[in-house]
Amino acid sequence: MATQTPAVVMDNGTGYSKLGFAGNDSPSFVFPTAIATKGPGGGGGSAGSGRPAVGNKPSFLTGGAGPTGHLSAKRGTEDLDFFIGDEALTASAGPGYGLSYPIRHGQIENWDQMERFWSNSIFKYLRVEPEDHYFLLTEPPLNPPENRENTAEIMFESFNCAGLYIAVQAVLALAASWTSSKVQDRSLTGTVIDSGEGVTHVIPVAEGYVIGSSIKSIPIAGRDITYFVQSLLRDRGEPDSSLKTAERIKEEFCYVCPDIVKEFARFDREPEDRFKKYEVKHPNGRSVSVDVGYERFLAPEIFFNPEIYSSDFLTPLPTIVDSVIQSSPIDVRRGLYKNIVLSGGSTLYNQFGRRLQRDIRHLVDARIAASEVRAGNAAKSGGLDVQVITHRRQRHGPWFGGSLLGQTPEFRSYCHTKAEYDEIGPSIVRKFALLGGPGST
Amino acid sequence: MLLLDYQNVLIESLLKDRFSPDSTPSSIDQVVSDFDNVTFHISTPNSKTQILISIAVKCYPELVKYGADAVLQREYGPYIVAPEQGYDFSVQVDLENLPAEQEEKDDLIRRISLLKRNAMAAPFEQAFDEYTSLAEQASHYTSETAPQGVREGGEVRAIHYRDQEAIYVKASHDRVTVIFSTVFSDETDRIYGKVFLQEFVDARRRAIQNAPQVLFRNDPPLELQGIPGLQSGKDKIGYITFVLFPRHLTPQRRYEVISHIQTFRDYFHYHIKASKAYIHSRMRKRTADFLQILRRARPEAEEKERKTASGRTFRVQA
Repeated sequence: MATQTPAVVMDNGTGYSKLGFAGNDSPSFVFPTAIATKGPGGGGGSAGSGRPAVGNKPSFLTGGAGPTGHLSAKRGTEDLDFFIGDEALTASAGPGYGLSYPIRHGQIENWDQMERFWSNSIFKYLRVEPEDHYFLLTEPPLNPPENRENTAEIMFESFNCAGLYIAVQAVLALAASWTSSKVQDRSLTGTVIDSGEGVTHVIPVAEGYVIGSSIKSIPIAGRDITYFVQSLLRDRGEPDSSLKTAERIKEEFCYVCPDIVKEFARFDREPEDRFKKYEVKHPNGRSVSVDVGYERFLAPEIFFNPEIYSSDFLTPLPTIVDSVIQSSPIDVRRGLYKNIVLSGGSTLYNQFGRRLQRDIRHLVDARIAASEVRAGNAAKSGGLDVQVITHRRQRHGPWFGGSLLGQTPEFRSYCHTKAEYDEIGPSIVRKFALLGGPGST
Repeated sequence: MLLLDYQNVLIESLLKDRFSPDSTPSSIDQVVSDFDNVTFHISTPNSKTQILISIAVKCYPELVKYGADAVLQREYGPYIVAPEQGYDFSVQVDLENLPAEQEEKDDLIRRISLLKRNAMAAPFEQAFDEYTSLAEQASHYTSETAPQGVREGGEVRAIHYRDQEAIYVKASHDRVTVIFSTVFSDETDRIYGKVFLQEFVDARRRAIQNAPQVLFRNDPPLELQGIPGLQSGKDKIGYITFVLFPRHLTPQRRYEVISHIQTFRDYFHYHIKASKAYIHSRMRKRTADFLQILRRARPEAEEKERKTASGRTFRVQA
């Protein structure tokens, strides 16, 4: 039996929250970061700084169940009447509940809802006493320090959690890549390509610190691929082209090809094993068969040739990665090229890493060749090592990285404890020693 | 969510997922926690279809002393296997060898997810049984003539389920007393807790006549006289006494009563935290209101003549 309680690792993302205990290889719970409360959903966005909307009606007119602004009128236990995760989606489909997403663009927007979301995550799903456990939370890159302080206030003052560590998702994703056999030196320098449901980020990290000025994001991610598959299905007039079907096809059949033209030719040459069929089972028991064709390789292709999907965003992913690294300080570029780490659900396509690596290497080699020519072939470059790392924990990369670091024996010494918080105050969480950085095992 | 669940949600959802006919078996290896320092280990050590669920409870030796084996044997009979190394109790289900009926499957899921509850239920069941027999004996006597043992009631069963906290259960011929010792690590929590417990004490007086009687004090109650290792301190520790009367102890109610009273501490702490969250949200709203007032009160930017270094004046354009 473990001599001490495992640390709780919570990775709250815009779309999904990943909750679990350090030391496990997958999160115990993955559910939408959604909360359903009584009354109409705020949507979260309108409430700007996260404060409740100011009511314009006296509370007795809204029947006591209005927006959170009327909390003071509530004397009972209405504040406990809410659901999170999948239950929230179910509840909001029925009457009386409104759905909101407390996290927008990776950052917490509505602290009231987030506090309750955490409370339910801890007590209903994880079933732990926060006093007995250390917590590892994640934050997006460029999270304002005020948000950290708010988080710490909630974790320490509401929940009295024993200790807290807040890590940057990109750094954890780098740590997660240590499971790959290609990684030998366990450095925290590298470029993280984090592609989830809504947006794709390319984040350079040097020695565990994010190079904020060089981060670039791409408005193409999982949802766009799903839409693209759906549009291809519609064009062909398939019997079922719902978003759900498109999503399943994307997850089951899509892969990245080395060359589109050759891949088209190959499909024509050997149609039997290239074209697939997907059975859609309707809840009423009937099922229809949907043909799966070129979208198998065309869908993920929008990362590499965005012009086939979008008309306003035209830069391919390899070019973005290259320009991100080129805009980083010159002394870390070699490390950034050598350790390009994938993270998030939309990087799971077969051969995605290999294609990315090849394309980036082409760009780099072309640049080196050009500069050699400009130098009059006086000096030869030793070449530059480009390596894209794919590993088995990509899907929940940041969570897994957190689990990995959270189980190390020295993790607790990196946390700020409740006693330290009581002594110094929320500003204590502005700084954390770098977990997994130099000096630690 | 007013009441906490009794079952472990993860075990429940995991088994439900694996038990469904169209799922493919895959390996699992997860260590998860539950309340009161309980640790579960869910794994598939031998083959992907055999799920082993082990539980480690801090006070397992005490539970065994109070008859946990019999309770667990009753609940899990054929599924019990030798305890895994480092854990106290293990059950194993074979996915290829499940009950055929969906209802039985659901029942099995429910029972396994209640592993912690069932393990902790033993002392309560034993005490309730003892109460029944004592009540039976006592019915032969008047209160004066009853022999000492019947009048005094049975021994105190102590369950040290946390490092500093314990549950004490004592059966008498007309009631079962359950005493929680509880330690507050945080001062704010203590104050919330006090208010909260006062509500419990008053509930019976005010509205709910058939609720169990609740008493709260800082020094050990008389029932615990002579028990070693009891702390008493003015503020740090509190003793909460529940007196369960015969109407709570009828066979059809016992199950629910045990479930409820077991989760009392977690329920208590959960609600302290929920109250804090509630007060925080009111504080945030109040701050927002004040900020709005301040914004409204800000004077219009007044126009000011400015001078350049050479003495010429100019006006700032809005």
